[in-house]
Amino acid sequence: MGLAPSYFVIGIFMLVPMIIMGVFSFLEPNPYGGVKPVGSLAAYVKLFFEYDLEDNLVFNPGYLNIILRSFQLSFGATLLCLIFGFPVAYYITLQPEHRRNFYIYLITIPFWTNLLIRTFAWIIILGRGGVIEAPLLAAGIIEDSLRMMYTDGAIAIGLTYSYLPLMVLPIYASLEKLDLRLLEAASDLYANRFEIMTKVVIPLCKPGIIAGCILVFIPCLGAFIAPNLLGGGKKLMLGSLVQFQFASARNWPFGAALSMLLLSAVVVTLIFYARAAKRREVMEGSA
Amino acid sequence: MTVAIDIRGVTKIYNPESNQAFKALDNVSLSIGDNEFFTLLGPSGCGKTTLLRLIAGFEQVSGGEIMLFDDEIVNLEPNQRPVNTVFQHYALFPHMTVAQNVSFGLERLRKPRQEIDATVERVLTLVKMKKLGDRRPGQLSGGQQQRVALARALAPNPKVLLLDEPLSALDLKLRQAMRGELKQLQKETGITFVFVTHDQEEALAMSDRIAVMSDGEVQQIGRPTDIYEHPVNRFVADFIGDTNFLDGEIVSLNDDLVTCRIGAQSMYEAENSGGHEVGDHVTLFLRPEKITLSPENQASGVHTRPGKVANIVYLGNQAAYTVDMGDGIELTAQARPREDGNLPFAIGEPLAVGFSARALRVLAK
Repeated sequence: MGLAPSYFVIGIFMLVPMIIMGVFSFLEPNPYGGVKPVGSLAAYVKLFFEYDLEDNLVFNPGYLNIILRSFQLSFGATLLCLIFGFPVAYYITLQPEHRRNFYIYLITIPFWTNLLIRTFAWIIILGRGGVIEAPLLAAGIIEDSLRMMYTDGAIAIGLTYSYLPLMVLPIYASLEKLDLRLLEAASDLYANRFEIMTKVVIPLCKPGIIAGCILVFIPCLGAFIAPNLLGGGKKLMLGSLVQFQFASARNWPFGAALSMLLLSAVVVTLIFYARAAKRREVMEGSA
Repeated sequence: MTVAIDIRGVTKIYNPESNQAFKALDNVSLSIGDNEFFTLLGPSGCGKTTLLRLIAGFEQVSGGEIMLFDDEIVNLEPNQRPVNTVFQHYALFPHMTVAQNVSFGLERLRKPRQEIDATVERVLTLVKMKKLGDRRPGQLSGGQQQRVALARALAPNPKVLLLDEPLSALDLKLRQAMRGELKQLQKETGITFVFVTHDQEEALAMSDRIAVMSDGEVQQIGRPTDIYEHPVNRFVADFIGDTNFLDGEIVSLNDDLVTCRIGAQSMYEAENSGGHEVGDHVTLFLRPEKITLSPENQASGVHTRPGKVANIVYLGNQAAYTVDMGDGIELTAQARPREDGNLPFAIGEPLAVGFSARALRVLAK
């Protein structure tokens, strides 16, 4: 009974909206927004098929491509976050204790400003004649615009920037628990710097790395600010597609179906993680 | 004697540029022989662990040289030095099995797989841990982890094995048992052991030679008996074993003996350790076990003095007696309980206190 309030909160804030989305995905769209209370699988059919001019159902890879691209871009952004985030977390770990909290504080500062504003800043950095191009143009190193905006690269950079702290924090949390004497022990046993990293540090902070990857990968899949602003809305990602269905296309059931697809992808990822974590626990014995 | 490690004028200053500069080692020189069980002994903060870490390469010297079998090693990284360390808290890799921990060093040295497997089996047998090779450190007791740490450090067959208070985390019984085993292991492997401890009993029990350290300096180097019987200064005498200290002034001396006035007018004869003059203020020391206590009426020989029992501390196999010698002098002595288990003397009982002049030694003041 003591848990009733938390069930209530979880129910109101998490389960009910999800159930509503699930129900909506099986209804028909109302052209003026919202849904008609008529059952239909049309939204799920639309994920993979379309009607040609003669009203035949034919396979349409368009949305699948967007989904595939979303996974690719999210994967790329996660990898970039890991490449940039790990050294940052490691560096902070090696600082004297009183300075570490200050650095962690710095890592969280971007969260104080709206993501939309910060993503606009990247337009200024990457854009035509922007912060990167202007000096290069002035110095005569390049003659024309680098055309960095509205590319997959720009989206990946935007996503990486947005979610980098979510990679740094869990990795730092697991590195902080790392016994630095183990590094001495490894170097005493003839491990060079590279081997200390690959044989001791990375295996021991694997839980943090996995947690960071999940925390970055999942919101990347659903992101729409960076794809819309930096991809120019031409390079759609799953998140921006969902947003488009609700805000502009007035096809709520299709947006809901896309959300359900996203949700199942996330759940599958988490199940894999939970399995791997359990296996590791069994292997290492719960000491 | 082949010298395994030669430490020449090594100084270590932490944070030399800041106002928290701390001199952990001050111009320390000592030589450790090949195949020797050498102990660095001292209270915490004396610099013994710093010296060990300098040999291992975890810290950089501020001055001086460290030679390992005639090779200068101060500029080498820890992974380039053919020495291995047994860490105080073992520092076993928690994500690896016992066997993987032990083979870690050999794998980094790129030994062939067959040789690695054979060596792992050999050293695990040596430390009696062969059956537990598949366990992880988290599944082992403290004593077992200790053995794995030893095996891991011995596996690469280092030229010198460094042991940083390896027994301090074990309980008393296990600690005492491991003393014998460590000594045995050192003889069997023929590897030079450099052992750091603050426990004087451990040092006396295992070492071929001991360096007693204090405040970043070596106070005395010698065999356990030298250190115990002939400490060079008050610090060493006090740190090793229990001791009576008596402050006095030399009133006369010949080649063998000095006569000191202690207290107001008590005269004590002591062995002349040389270099003293009449009028010197000196400290005499006397080990409690060198004193014989007997009933007053059984006083034997010229070396007895009258005393009175002031206090008793019962220790089971013996009792420590504080004896009032008069003239403000108190001595601590030992006596065994009688066969019926009762103590031989009671508080307030008059005694004959006997010790020879050779047992009373002069320390430089």
